[in-house]
Amino acid sequence: MVEEIQNKLQLEVDKYKAVQKDYHKALAQRQQLDGQLNENTAVKQELDLLRKDAEVFKLIGPVLVKQDLEEAKQNVSKRMDYIRSELKRIDDMITGLDKKQDAHREAINKLQQQFQLMQMKKA
Amino acid sequence: MATKEESVFPQVGQQIELSNLSLQQLTQLKQQLDQEIHVFLETSRTLKMAQTKFQDSNDCLEKITPDSEGKNIMVPLTGSMYVPGRVANGKSVIIDIGTGYFIQKDIDGAKDYFKRKVSFVGEQIEKIMQVSVEKSKLNKVVAQKIQLQLQAQLSSQQQSQQQEATKS
Repeated sequence: MVEEIQNKLQLEVDKYKAVQKDYHKALAQRQQLDGQLNENTAVKQELDLLRKDAEVFKLIGPVLVKQDLEEAKQNVSKRMDYIRSELKRIDDMITGLDKKQDAHREAINKLQQQFQLMQMKKA
Repeated sequence: MATKEESVFPQVGQQIELSNLSLQQLTQLKQQLDQEIHVFLETSRTLKMAQTKFQDSNDCLEKITPDSEGKNIMVPLTGSMYVPGRVANGKSVIIDIGTGYFIQKDIDGAKDYFKRKVSFVGEQIEKIMQVSVEKSKLNKVVAQKIQLQLQAQLSSQQQSQQQEATKS
């Protein structure tokens, strides 16, 4: 009986650790996206400040390719929209993982209590 | 940066009474605070480096004037190899504004850009420093509480020991 609970506990802890790993991964991803969004926002601001006849280049591989200002603005806006949607997806994922983590933690607590009870009965 | 840990921000929303925490909880809180302060210091250091880079670029622009057109310069191909070149355009420069985009700006415009960036980064450093100072204060208070609790434990231990001694 004690062994059974121990096994269950181990299983639950393993699951918890896996969820925790996913959680941290999602968090890191979120941070990266946040940074990208910030960078794109700064670029958009800078592009908006430019006059219509300003020259804009895009770094493609090792060369600078001349770009249309309007096109560049649109591209950056599109990228920002994409990053925002990604952020939303990751945020949803994080809340989901948060709930999962809590559930696992609770399960572990319960099993631990059961385990302690068993030990006390034994003693 | 915004991690959703169990709220350790007493100033935000729920207030935590420090004296209600156990020694273990206090130590945990202190560890977390230490970690956070470390991250803040690291971040502000990185930001300062970025600020210096922008400032350097700004300083470089002082050297470029319309007069410098046609002047000879050494162009670095790698860090250790240079080829002679000539300034073709002394009126404008191309600056990297991030995500692979570069824009051409006249010298004054470029200076303005770098000045804005320097002050922007400065503001961010300022913000981080403020939070960091807050955290340091909290950290000190927590450290004091830990000290007090430890002393209390120690003296109660000594008392009980003395009592034992007088009994026997």
